[in-house]
Amino acid sequence: MPEIHSDIGPDYLRDESRKTGTADSISFPLNEAEIADAVRWAAANGQCITTQGARTGLTGGAVPSGGHILNLSRMKTITDRDDLIVQPGVTLDEIRAHLKSRGNVFFAPDPTETTATIGGMASCNASGARSFRYGATRESILAARLVLADGDVIALCRGQCMATGRNFRLKTESGRVIEGDLPSYTTPAIKTASGYFVRDSMDLLDLFIGSEGTLGIFSELHLKLQPWPASVWGVMAFFGKEPDALAFVHAVRGLKDKPASIEFFDSCSLNLLRSHRLEGAPEVPADYHTAVYVEYHAADEDEASGMVERMCEALDGCGGSEDRTWIATDDHERERIRLFRHALPEAVNSLIDERRKTDPAITKLGTDMAVPDDRLDELMALYHASLERLGLEYVIFGHIGSNHVHVNILPRTVKQFEQGKAQYLEWADAVIRMGGTVSAEHGIGKLKTPFLLKMMGARGIEDMRRLKRLFDPQCRLNPGNLFAC
Amino acid sequence: MHVVVCIKQVPDTSDVKINPETNTLIREGVQSIINPFDENALEIALVLKDTQGAKVTVITMGPPQAESALRECLARGADEVVLVSDRAFAGSDTLATSYTLARAIETLDKPDLILFGKQAIDGDTAQVGPGVAELLDMPVITYIRRVEVAEGKLKVERVFEDGYEKMEVPLPAVLTILKEANVPRMASLKGRMKAKKAEIAMLSAAAIQADPERVGLKGSPTKVVRIFTPPKKTGGIRIDGTHPLEAARTLVEKLREQKVI
Ligand SMILES: Cc1cc2nc3c(=O)[nH]c(=O)nc-3n(C[C@H](O)[C@H](O)[C@H](O)COP(=O)(O)OP(=O)(O)OC[C@H]3O[C@@H](n4cnc5c(N)ncnc54)[C@H](O)[C@@H]3O)c2cc1C
Repeated sequence: MPEIHSDIGPDYLRDESRKTGTADSISFPLNEAEIADAVRWAAANGQCITTQGARTGLTGGAVPSGGHILNLSRMKTITDRDDLIVQPGVTLDEIRAHLKSRGNVFFAPDPTETTATIGGMASCNASGARSFRYGATRESILAARLVLADGDVIALCRGQCMATGRNFRLKTESGRVIEGDLPSYTTPAIKTASGYFVRDSMDLLDLFIGSEGTLGIFSELHLKLQPWPASVWGVMAFFGKEPDALAFVHAVRGLKDKPASIEFFDSCSLNLLRSHRLEGAPEVPADYHTAVYVEYHAADEDEASGMVERMCEALDGCGGSEDRTWIATDDHERERIRLFRHALPEAVNSLIDERRKTDPAITKLGTDMAVPDDRLDELMALYHASLERLGLEYVIFGHIGSNHVHVNILPRTVKQFEQGKAQYLEWADAVIRMGGTVSAEHGIGKLKTPFLLKMMGARGIEDMRRLKRLFDPQCRLNPGNLFAC
Repeated sequence: MHVVVCIKQVPDTSDVKINPETNTLIREGVQSIINPFDENALEIALVLKDTQGAKVTVITMGPPQAESALRECLARGADEVVLVSDRAFAGSDTLATSYTLARAIETLDKPDLILFGKQAIDGDTAQVGPGVAELLDMPVITYIRRVEVAEGKLKVERVFEDGYEKMEVPLPAVLTILKEANVPRMASLKGRMKAKKAEIAMLSAAAIQADPERVGLKGSPTKVVRIFTPPKKTGGIRIDGTHPLEAARTLVEKLREQKVI
């Protein structure tokens, strides 16, 4: 049994969303048995549980709403197999540092915040730029163990526990059978982190990944590793206007070589980068308007060079030019491009911090929505049109390969902040009409539940609620995440 | 106008590790890069090419692998590159290197301007630029942060610890360049593809008619007595404090105790 503390440091009541909650107690289990003990203790005392990893979440998922906090950040064991078995509190940084000594492999998921824990990443299905080729966290999980609301444990191995159509049946380690129907909706085949993942005859492991801690608590994860590509080439192509850049994105996606990532920087982003360049990063010439970054992973130089040559043809056909395109073929040069790209979120944050000094009610407004491939141009046109109409300052950048760009609105006044918020809701309606998702990588948590309701409709939410009750009848695990219980 | 840039390939020491037993650099897994200050020198030359149509030749003395550094220069826009390479050059100190580079430069079209980085980050001597200038009997100005060429004259700014100096010099001349001079450009895709196919010109000891007594180990009077890692600083006091004022007070007290103030 882990020690139950009733004095809770204020940091444990919030995450990176700046939302603050309340709780009665907190524990720091060190292994699966301690998680189960704490869960049983909470059940016996009528307490609900909020699970925490590193609290880097942006949607309040780890912010408690009363009851007990189960903080897993001290569960840090890593076990080497062909792949990797980790406890949920291991951070992405720690995984990377650990794999450095193995040399020839890497763990593909690459969300920007590397202090996130693997438990949090699995629970939100976190992803980064390279998910275009390697998938989100979901695609890198081979197996998992979870503690359920009553302290029972299930072990799931990819490919071994499948639903039959929409019907499923699972056996816990104590031999209890949980069975029932999956929700009736089907998760769109785009990058998404919105609600339970559901497909016909799906792998039941996928039901838990992305469920934001509402069905069970990850106590162990078995991670898939990828061979490290010998040649990584990064290309930053610049265009004179945005439609050319979008045409290039479509063209690159049509090529036979799948890039690791395709990233986008609109003209406002480039302007902001011009004034917030980090030491060591290259300078962007004044007449470059829009940029698309494409990264290729290859087994050797020749393969990489072939990929880039084929990409050149796409470039020429879309108003790009090989003269106005940067290329990095080694770590040193790629690091310069990385510095260039990473200055953007930092620049946004420092601008917002500056503006909060005049009015603390102002915060960054960032979108996290994605649409199907054929709706990309429509979405971009919509974003620009509404932002120009409202006269708001903004940048648009991000994972355009997956039609997942972040619009960051930079309000100068509270009025603009409110206008931006209202606009965000309108966009969500449009994105849903296009068959898109309201959250592609950050998840729903407690802040975006109105968006999820819009996307799934009352019926979809009711389906999810029904499923949750099969695993957690008293709604003890992470209440308030995804939907109100 | 012909600008010659001398570069050196060095280990990327931003991530350097020392073998604790032998006290030498662990080179495995360490990438080779163009000496960072030389990138600033190259950038000056490339701007002269963009604005005045200068011809840019990059030259390096080094082992055959240094070819990759020269290809990077071609990719960024250099017109020609020359690799000065010979077993006879092994073990060269700054004097022998200066001599070898000077002889190699004499085989090229006569340069109007020769550029070096301030110093190489692996040796940190800052001697090769001035050494070459001396051997070629050209004026040298070190620590340059700004270069302008107009009417056959060079206007430069030379930096000191507490200020800078504006100077005008006739060409030809040798300059050594600081990091603050500019931001080196990225290679373009076009340049990279061209560089990939380029033939790299090689100059051997015979080709530059080097005096065998003046190159390599033989031509190097410098003797390295010992290489060691300086001992880590130990001891010291850390003044923590949430209040800057309080921390400052503690510091003053400590300094008084030690009779520093
Ligand atoms: C600067 C910054 C950049 C970011 N960039 C990205 C990005 O590029 N891509 C991206 O996807 N996200 C990004 N995020 C969001 C965040 O890092 C991810 O959501 C991450 O997965 C959260 O991990 P965590 O350990 O901090 O989880 P927490 O915030 O502690 O928790 C997140 C959710 O997971 C649940 N949870 C945690 N551990 C477990 C467990 N063991 N079992 C069950 N449920 C659990 C929590 O209850 C909560 O609902 C970013 C955040 C910041 C601050």
